[in-house]
Amino acid sequence: MILRADHVAGAAFVIFGAAIIALSRDLPVGQLSMPGSGFLPMIVATLTIIFGLMLILRARESGPFAELGWGDGKHAMMVTGITAVAIALYEHLGFTITMLLMMVTLLIVIERRNPIRAGIYCIAIVLFTYVSFVYGLKTPLPEYSF
Amino acid sequence: MISTALTDLWYGFGVALEPHNVMWCFIGVFVGNMVGVLPGMGPLATISILLPLTFGIKPVGAILMLAGVFYGSQYGGAICSILLNLPCHPPHAVTCLDGFPLTKKGRGGAALGITVISSFVGASWGITEMIFLSPILVVVALKFGPAEICSLMLLGLLAGSTLARGSPLKGVAMTVCGLLIGIVGSDIETGTPRFTFGIPNLFDGVEIVALALGLFGIAEFMKSVNQLSEVDTKYTNVKLKDLRPTREEFRRALPAMFRGTLIGSLCALIPGTGPTIASFVSYATEKKISKTPELFGTGMIEGVACPEASTHSSVQGDFIPTMSLGIPGDAVMALILGALMIQGIVPGPQLISEHPDIFWGLIASFWIGNIILVVLNVPMIGLWVKLLTIPYKYLYPSAMFFVCIGVYSTNNDMFQVGEVVIIGIVGYILLLLDFHPAPVLLGFVLGPRFEENFRRAMLISRGDILVFIKHPISAVFIFMCVLLIVMQIYVRLRPPKVLATNIVLATDRKASEAAE
Repeated sequence: MILRADHVAGAAFVIFGAAIIALSRDLPVGQLSMPGSGFLPMIVATLTIIFGLMLILRARESGPFAELGWGDGKHAMMVTGITAVAIALYEHLGFTITMLLMMVTLLIVIERRNPIRAGIYCIAIVLFTYVSFVYGLKTPLPEYSF
Repeated sequence: MISTALTDLWYGFGVALEPHNVMWCFIGVFVGNMVGVLPGMGPLATISILLPLTFGIKPVGAILMLAGVFYGSQYGGAICSILLNLPCHPPHAVTCLDGFPLTKKGRGGAALGITVISSFVGASWGITEMIFLSPILVVVALKFGPAEICSLMLLGLLAGSTLARGSPLKGVAMTVCGLLIGIVGSDIETGTPRFTFGIPNLFDGVEIVALALGLFGIAEFMKSVNQLSEVDTKYTNVKLKDLRPTREEFRRALPAMFRGTLIGSLCALIPGTGPTIASFVSYATEKKISKTPELFGTGMIEGVACPEASTHSSVQGDFIPTMSLGIPGDAVMALILGALMIQGIVPGPQLISEHPDIFWGLIASFWIGNIILVVLNVPMIGLWVKLLTIPYKYLYPSAMFFVCIGVYSTNNDMFQVGEVVIIGIVGYILLLLDFHPAPVLLGFVLGPRFEENFRRAMLISRGDILVFIKHPISAVFIFMCVLLIVMQIYVRLRPPKVLATNIVLATDRKASEAAE
């Protein structure tokens, strides 16, 4: 049997639904005349399991899991990783340094753009945003705090 | 009724023409037009990015700006489709079929000119419809009890998830996910924390900004990061004088425009259909009634006028259930409702009476915005064309940048920024597995209100589940839900229609050619 995309997706839905049911054990379900806070989670989790099973049953309509376009994954994860690092440094290094570093890394290191053009572009974007937020929208942005 | 509506509209113009509101409307349509032109950007991602900015703006200005982004992007999307054969946004996939062949024949400018006129005609009709239909809907909706509201929301959820892009089963499954995400936080009635894992930041639930930015910001950009290559702009040399269609082209386009407008406005009344389905249906109809259907796909001006008019008529019409009933038809409308809720405004039938400035101001701004769009598009066509040459590799880092500062500036909360990244990664995996994340937002926005009304209905009826069928209006909505499910099963079981299949195949072919 070929493992298809919907097999994996369906299984994930079933596991997710089962986890919700397990996690909502402490929530009072109540009665139909007075539904408790656990009533809807229980129904929705059950529906999640049902839809997961339906996806597994109809999985032959989807493509093989091995053929999914994971090729972009590495690139996408690098971009997200750099964004995550920038987020982590945001409150310490402040808006200007962090965002400039993030943009420069994404454009010059990851996308291999012309360094001069990319540098000018990054500075322009960061400055424009800083001015718009701080002076236009009166929203303070974090400053360097070490 | 008509005189009241016109008086209210006059008041709306008073609100919309206030200088700061005109400015927000202009910013909205300008940004919308720009992102509509840029391949890889769309109204959902843009509205998500702009959502945190609306915190600092008054409610009327915020809604005018976000709405402007939505209809502005539809104008921009057509430019991309006609000149580049690149259907950046789904409703314009059909426009490529005849728009690009016209460009190749040297009539791209005329196609753009007809698009501007068609869009204005379609939008004007949609706005007129909203002026007269919304107050009537509100009068009816004010009589709704919890059972009726609950059934209506169920219909909205089902329609939004089954009629949207892709597999209906996956759409419903995503809506259910949205409902689950909406459950996170303190229970509205008892205050019991649900799925908060003891994290105080989750007691207020997942923020709509984090969800929207994660799904439509991070996830969409992650998916497109390698896919969009630099575009071929050899046919994009369009000048202002080229926009003028010939008398013959205008004569052929005019009836098509009106037919498209009518189809678009009818589609808008069905929640979940949206502009994409409207444009496909109108193109198929136009081809069917044409004396020369074989020429469609070779550069027929009717093939541009009809879908564009229907798209814009449908876009404006989409606001009717959203603003008058508080039921969004699609993810963009759910975001606009989210923006209202961020401002502390409860969407629903009471919106018109409690916040007439927002409702009538928005309607009036539609006309102002559409006029701005016509004015913007005609002389600035050169600039829009130049924008097409910006490589995506420059665009997405900027978008990531705006996502980061946007979500941080919402609450100055790093937890929320982390939430966006996690939601983004999950959204990316879902996109790879061919699950469109738009219904998640619909479930998320409607979920808490659905639960509240469901529990209230059960409490009032003392646990009688048949209350949803005993109330006539509720029964009608439940019947429509059943009809929708049966229709979906029927559509899946019966062999596909040749015409519809041809359109889908042709648009797919165009899209893949453009991507190559």
